[in-house]
Amino acid sequence: MAVERTQGSGSYGTSRTVLVVSLIGLVLAAIGISILIDKQGGQKLLASVYDLLGNSAGAEALRNGQGDQFFAKLLLVAIALFVGVGGIWLLFTGVSALVERLRPALRDRLLPLVFIAPAVVLLGIYLVYPAVRTIIGSFQDENGAFTLANWASLATPPFLEILRNNVLWLVIGTSGSVGLGLLTAALFDRIRRESLAKIFVFTPLAISLVGATVIWKFVYAWQPASQPQFGLLNAIWTGLPFGFQPIPWATQFPINLPSEMLILIWLQTGFAMVVFSAAIKGVSSEIIEAARLDGANERQLFRKVIVPMIRGTIVTVTTTVAIVTLKIFDIVMSVSGGRNHDDVVAVRMFAEMFQFFNDGRAAALATVLFIAVLPVMIVNLRNFRRQAAM
Amino acid sequence: MAKRLRIASALGAVVILVSACSSSTPTPSPATAAPPATAAPATAAPASTAPESAAPASEAPASAAPAALNLPKVPTGYSELDKALGADQPYKGKKVSIQTQWTGGEGEGFAAAIKDFAAATGIAIQVDSIGSSHETVLKTRIEGGSPPDMAALAQPTGVLAYAKEGKVIDLATFMDPAKLKGDFPSTIGLTSVGDHIWSIPTKADVKSMIWYPVKAFAAKGYTVPKTWDELVALADKIVADGSHPFCVSAGGPGTATGWELTDWVEEVLLKTEDPQVTNDWISHKIPFTDPKIKAAFDKVGSLLFKDGYVDGGGQAIVNADLKTVMDPMFNQDTAAPGCWMQKIPVWYGPDFFPDKRTSGTASKYKIGDDGDIGIFPFPTISDTYKGAEGSADSFMVLADRPEVRAFAEFLATPEGLEGWIKSVGVLSPNVHVPAEWYADNYKLKVANAIATGATAIGFDASDLMPPAVGQGSFWTGISDWANANGSNTDSVLQAIDDSWPK
Repeated sequence: MAVERTQGSGSYGTSRTVLVVSLIGLVLAAIGISILIDKQGGQKLLASVYDLLGNSAGAEALRNGQGDQFFAKLLLVAIALFVGVGGIWLLFTGVSALVERLRPALRDRLLPLVFIAPAVVLLGIYLVYPAVRTIIGSFQDENGAFTLANWASLATPPFLEILRNNVLWLVIGTSGSVGLGLLTAALFDRIRRESLAKIFVFTPLAISLVGATVIWKFVYAWQPASQPQFGLLNAIWTGLPFGFQPIPWATQFPINLPSEMLILIWLQTGFAMVVFSAAIKGVSSEIIEAARLDGANERQLFRKVIVPMIRGTIVTVTTTVAIVTLKIFDIVMSVSGGRNHDDVVAVRMFAEMFQFFNDGRAAALATVLFIAVLPVMIVNLRNFRRQAAM
Repeated sequence: MAKRLRIASALGAVVILVSACSSSTPTPSPATAAPPATAAPATAAPASTAPESAAPASEAPASAAPAALNLPKVPTGYSELDKALGADQPYKGKKVSIQTQWTGGEGEGFAAAIKDFAAATGIAIQVDSIGSSHETVLKTRIEGGSPPDMAALAQPTGVLAYAKEGKVIDLATFMDPAKLKGDFPSTIGLTSVGDHIWSIPTKADVKSMIWYPVKAFAAKGYTVPKTWDELVALADKIVADGSHPFCVSAGGPGTATGWELTDWVEEVLLKTEDPQVTNDWISHKIPFTDPKIKAAFDKVGSLLFKDGYVDGGGQAIVNADLKTVMDPMFNQDTAAPGCWMQKIPVWYGPDFFPDKRTSGTASKYKIGDDGDIGIFPFPTISDTYKGAEGSADSFMVLADRPEVRAFAEFLATPEGLEGWIKSVGVLSPNVHVPAEWYADNYKLKVANAIATGATAIGFDASDLMPPAVGQGSFWTGISDWANANGSNTDSVLQAIDDSWPK
């Protein structure tokens, strides 16, 4: 990948223009940053602008924390954008200009680093550092001393129940979404109004998890037997000629677990279906024809030809949905907050952090989630790499 | 030329690199300030106190007609407050930002309480009313290093947790501890540790009350029960008449499920045992499995889970939403109410009545002995122990500036809540609030009578337990218990007790 570069045309010395422009850049960046660091920077700047324009009353109000606060904030946003975007530009072009004046051998080795360095630094600040900090936090008590108590508490019955629920979510939620997605994709492949049918399955994906939960709470709504049932499911259930009693689908363990999983399956089936559908269409018609000529019936064709051909897609979709189910939060939080034996790791992590002030245990739960998602991520990445290699 | 520019930017890049780390702290601050503002759009109206417009125009000098304003008389006993109320308005133009969970009527009441203070001192009070996600937002702001100047919390345990982290300003450093203890004898101790006082009790709630449909009671010839036995007899009569006596909800608001049931248990415990038992229970000197605690659970269970007493039984209690649970009581004009009695604190009111909820306009239902919905004190059980249950929201001071001190001191005076008491209605934990302020408000009068008539006031026990129990396993456990119609008391009590932090 060594690219031949033309040597810089004799600008090895420092010319005056370069000095002036760089100084201006430095000064501008320094001013911008000093405004951003100051908590009242936007207000102060706008106030001095007002002073210049002769609006001293407006400037006075701003300095006292009143007046055109909105515009002061807008000004801050503009400066942040300018410093941020301009800064990135300075960073890339500047550092690469510096590196380009090095010896070619050294230059070719350093240049890639220059371009990935900002990404690595940002990932380090916003991803690696918090992750490490969280893992350390899971071994600390509230005074910061080392302890294993946070991890030990995860072995108690309430937490084992939470882990059990997450495993159920992983197994049922993932297999439900992937299975139904595959089934619908294969079936819709054969019908005439394929896109219309797909729209119906796909549309729920556009709804947020919380929105979908609100919709399904109406479906699951429960009223005492003496009252009219406005919940769709209970209205049908009690309307059947068997004299059934209404069932609290969303609040009674264990029926609430499948009820909640159904919401996710309803959402994720559409995603799985669309991806599978594209993959199925990618299976070349010659192979299918050949299989038919060899006497394969439709079921065999699906199981022994199509499924193996789209195996890579199945792995990708499965791992993607698996990660969603492992991290499941919104649905459980909106249905009950996990109070009816339906708690999951993410919901409990939130509760430990914000309600119970147990930061250490919240960190331990976050780490559990991290460890659980990790192997799935690795499978996914390997699969991507294999597909890229193909 | 392009080459030269590159070199220029190379030098600039060094600056950016150096400052990238430091500038990452201040830039997020406008972003973190945004959530409170956007999270509560529905409550924007009551939250904005519009101090600027109220201040200068109508009441020209500060000395004009002080009697009409809800302000304490100088000297107030607090130094910064005296200064702030001075004619020269030393803190004019300063800003105090506070965060509360009070929305709707409570938000309006608080706005009314602080309006005159803002006008008289020229201090702008910015109120962020967050509602049900208040505690989450507050924790993010405090831990993130950009806390509001003051914040209200319902649970004393939360105040103590922040105090332990060193995030709260000790009130004893600028307010007279003896005065505070004299003004708030029953509540200041909840958030005091040693000589440190961590919050000002601001809004008290009396929980020992039962709301009932006045007209339907009269039509059926029911009388308000004074004792537990009378309550059971009345409930039996209501069941015999083909209705259901109680409305109880262990659902909501939000995910705060279960507190209405824990209140029932706490109430019965205060009315059957010495208040010391409640205290021992809170401090875990006696476990949840103690026979006295179990007896309280059983007594509540014997009432609420009895066939027909709650329509749909325990499952209905878990399923019922706090907002709608009392709706069946409101059809008393057209038919017999679907339920007759709800135990709910004094903060309950028209905001929750069905017509107000659906239309947004003022409720046509009047609260009062001669109105539609009345309130009676929770019946007594024992002859000796007639404790009442209460709770109090309190304010933490999170930033130490003179104008913040002045506002904190204002809230500690009886007049700090006067506007709220006289508009929407609220109970002040300050014992020097004159009783006549409550005289015009039926529910406050009843609450005041309950509080003064009680042999002891027990603070909401679950609010004083560790949050993992009081807002965690106790709520989960009691939902469990209701779902099983009280048949699993022992295992539920054991499970709650096991969850107590070691």
